[in-house]
Amino acid sequence: MFGLPWHIVLPTLLGSILAGFVCGAIGTFVVRMKLSSLGFAMSHAAFAGAALGMMLSLEPLWTAIAFSLLIALLLGPLADISRMNTDAVLGALFPVAMALGFVFLTRTESGGIGSGALSLLWGSVLGMTMDQVGLLGIVALVIVVAFIGFGRGFFALLLDRRLAIASGLNARAYYYGVLVLVAIVVSVSLRITGGLLIYALMVLPATSAFQWAYDIKKIFLIAPLLGGVSAFGGFLFSLWADLPIGSAIALCAAGLFLISTAMSPKRRRER
Amino acid sequence: MDRPVICLSRVEAAYEGERAATLRDVDLMVEEGELLAIVGPNGAGKTTLLDVIDGLLPVTAGEVRVFGAAVGPHAHRLRRRIGYLPQDLFFPPSTPYLVRDVVLMARFGDLPPFRFVRRADREAVAGALAAVGLSGLSRRPIGRLSGGQQRKALLARTLAQRACILLLDEPTANLDPEAKADVERLVVALKEELSSTALVVSHEAGYLRDRAGRVIVIEEGRIVSDRARIGGSV
Repeated sequence: MFGLPWHIVLPTLLGSILAGFVCGAIGTFVVRMKLSSLGFAMSHAAFAGAALGMMLSLEPLWTAIAFSLLIALLLGPLADISRMNTDAVLGALFPVAMALGFVFLTRTESGGIGSGALSLLWGSVLGMTMDQVGLLGIVALVIVVAFIGFGRGFFALLLDRRLAIASGLNARAYYYGVLVLVAIVVSVSLRITGGLLIYALMVLPATSAFQWAYDIKKIFLIAPLLGGVSAFGGFLFSLWADLPIGSAIALCAAGLFLISTAMSPKRRRER
Repeated sequence: MDRPVICLSRVEAAYEGERAATLRDVDLMVEEGELLAIVGPNGAGKTTLLDVIDGLLPVTAGEVRVFGAAVGPHAHRLRRRIGYLPQDLFFPPSTPYLVRDVVLMARFGDLPPFRFVRRADREAVAGALAAVGLSGLSRRPIGRLSGGQQRKALLARTLAQRACILLLDEPTANLDPEAKADVERLVVALKEELSSTALVVSHEAGYLRDRAGRVIVIEEGRIVSDRARIGGSV
């Protein structure tokens, strides 16, 4: 495909589609809960974690997951202790993660931003291995199982947290569940789009899905689909135009968002 | 007094960031089946009282017991027996939830993970929507209903929950006179159908206060008057 052998293209192609799927699904939480900073902060936490892995000569994927999970687990208690809303705490954590990421990168053996580090920032079309694709597949499966088993609680949380608590649901547990899922999804998708643009793959497909339906259940089906389409389209666009894959995916997702906004049945009905 | 279902003793409570307690030294016992009206000026502590009974706001002093069990933020099981209608909850037009799904959520607390919604749950939802006259709007997005219809949908949610205690915070707030009368009648019918105990915050005189068997007045976080009404429903 585009002059590249299949054994190189296939993992990234499959990885892109899976990353689009999981980011689209989890982005629905980020958009609905108005936690846009969450995706942003998590992507930078994953970037810092991956940079730490490179500095310590460890597998960047695992250190990215560990670092993001640490931030996710700190976030709730920090917000509770500081009595600030989650968005404000995220705003404080984001620059810290970014700064740590660059500190770790300058301490790598290459002594600065090499090609491996650059792929963490804006993704790499050759960045995926089949093992990483397998991990993405497992994460996708976990998300599907979590939705089947606990989807009702998540839906209630997304409608109104207070009403969910009043219904007897443990809203805090569900909220922490969302934070952990976001951390894992961002970390395992980092290789595709890079830390700077993964936020686009989370937010744009979900925002587009909200343009098409009034039913949250349908939105949870449409968002991963649009995420997968954005990632697949971005992958092809990246090879065709010789662009970084993260940028190409973000541009495709933005294109879908513009189309969704223009053609939204909601907009027609509200006129 | 036999069988108090709600018991508050020397309760104090304050919202985050507030130095002064919103509730101060509150003692209250509510019997099973009572319809209790809670009245008082804005900021007196009426909503706070409902919040501490439902465990949504932890007390800073004293104790709250419902059905004999201590209430707190982790009383999830207990909360499933309490139907709560918040005062200020209105859904904007873009809210991506259908009316029937909002009502169905009242049953989620009793559904274990990985268990599909049962026929009984769907029947409870259909019955509740019929009771409030919204059967025809069950597939409509909740945010596209009028303010009065949204209040009715939330009342249907409480009905579907089959709650033993109803905590209704200004159920007729911001409604036009016709919708207000409808909702007031529904609240009384709902309380009677479920044989529940109901605490209704009411800002103004009206049908609900006329039907209440007991009226308490709250001012500056304290209960300043607690009187049984002659001619009330309970």
